[in-house]
Amino acid sequence: MIMLPTVVRNLFGGPATRMYPVTTREPFARARGHVEFNEDLCNQCGTCARRCPAVAIDLDKEKKEWILHPDRCIICEVCAEVCPKDAITIAPQWRAPFYKREAIIYHSKAVKEKGEKSSE
Amino acid sequence: MAPRTITPFGPQHPVLPEPVQLKLELEDERVVSVLPAIGYGHRGIEKACELNEYPKNIYLCERICGICSAIHGMTYCDVVEKLWPLDIPPRAKYLRTIWAEMARTHSHLLWLGLLADAFGFESMFMQYWRIREKVLDILEITTGHRVTQSVSIVGGVRRDIDEDQKKHCIEVLKDVRKEAEALNNVLVNDYTVKARTVGKGVLSYDQAIALGLCGPHLRASGVKEDCRTQGYWAYGDLSFEPVIATGGDSFSRAAVRAGELYQAIDLQLEAFGKLPEGELAVKPKGNPPANEAVSRVEQPRGEVFYYAKGNGTRNLERLRVRTPTYANIPSLLVMLPGCELADVPIIVLSIDPCISCTER
Repeated sequence: MIMLPTVVRNLFGGPATRMYPVTTREPFARARGHVEFNEDLCNQCGTCARRCPAVAIDLDKEKKEWILHPDRCIICEVCAEVCPKDAITIAPQWRAPFYKREAIIYHSKAVKEKGEKSSE
Repeated sequence: MAPRTITPFGPQHPVLPEPVQLKLELEDERVVSVLPAIGYGHRGIEKACELNEYPKNIYLCERICGICSAIHGMTYCDVVEKLWPLDIPPRAKYLRTIWAEMARTHSHLLWLGLLADAFGFESMFMQYWRIREKVLDILEITTGHRVTQSVSIVGGVRRDIDEDQKKHCIEVLKDVRKEAEALNNVLVNDYTVKARTVGKGVLSYDQAIALGLCGPHLRASGVKEDCRTQGYWAYGDLSFEPVIATGGDSFSRAAVRAGELYQAIDLQLEAFGKLPEGELAVKPKGNPPANEAVSRVEQPRGEVFYYAKGNGTRNLERLRVRTPTYANIPSLLVMLPGCELADVPIIVLSIDPCISCTER
């Protein structure tokens, strides 16, 4: 009987759940959803790969590739914090589930050519 | 004498979300003796922490437990800071306190829901978890994630709570308190709840001390012992008094957690009111020096103990974690013999077992 007021309130109140996936909630502004990479800014300094706690970032200096393993990434935001060029950002939308462990390959376009003075 | 049978309780059991096995020796429906078997969830996190560089361990330590993950990360930072020793800014201390109490709020709401579920009060279980969702939402708004908050770093915190978020949090917390009061009223006064919890798994004051228990489990037996009385982080500035109950049974444990739920919300509101301005973090100089440190922090389930030993490199030489459930499991050997088989789930749940913490 003590539960009755709560039960009656629930009878007239709306449901607490959403009809997912028909209705979805907008992610919160500063939520950590997934890693976004800006190819134009990266100079392959490698700080992100060294500091990543989950070994989710690889660099291929020969091919000037920046490789993200989304299956290892724990979205801790460390890479975005340490990037000196702000090439990495964290977007609030979560990444959809995937079936294959595939790396995402980006090309770093801000790498200085040989002979030019390195910014590191 | 009736024939005795041995019944395995777990490692997969509807009432236990995590793997632990209790070998129950039964005489008809009555438990004669019990033998807990742990080791199903060992992941070698302590060893992995020695192989990682020290700032990376924060994210690993947070994964020791899914419910008190924020406090694990903070305690790790706390113990590594003590190696220098490093004094963190006051605002960081307050923010850590706020997030730790938010974690306690949602952990106790989770446990109260699970208790209701254990004795078949499904609607109350859903109601508690409905409220808990609001707390998880403010955690996500302020820290960026519902479960693994990852807000603490060695030297302070990574994120700030701005004025808008603060206002929103205070509003939500007041709302949560109001709704929790209505539900806790059911928990404390309902006949069915009392019939299933009062007098089940009784531990006296002396037994609780002799067994070396910790957390709400200890306080339910009337022992006024709480790590937060040490005054770490901002607890020294806040008005804090441990919540105790004297019954020592499952009902008292529920009452203590219900009381701590209000207390956690009050502490957050007080900390929001006193939140000082200033820096969020200090940068540690060099690597952790060759030194030893110990940190004791009150988690929702009890006292967590971290020991760290540095050796001047970027890796720690040793990290040791002792979690509250490990201290509380021996009490099952005293509480369970003599009880009915039907009461076993409630008594086991009343210690708030967290097996992934225990085994790491």
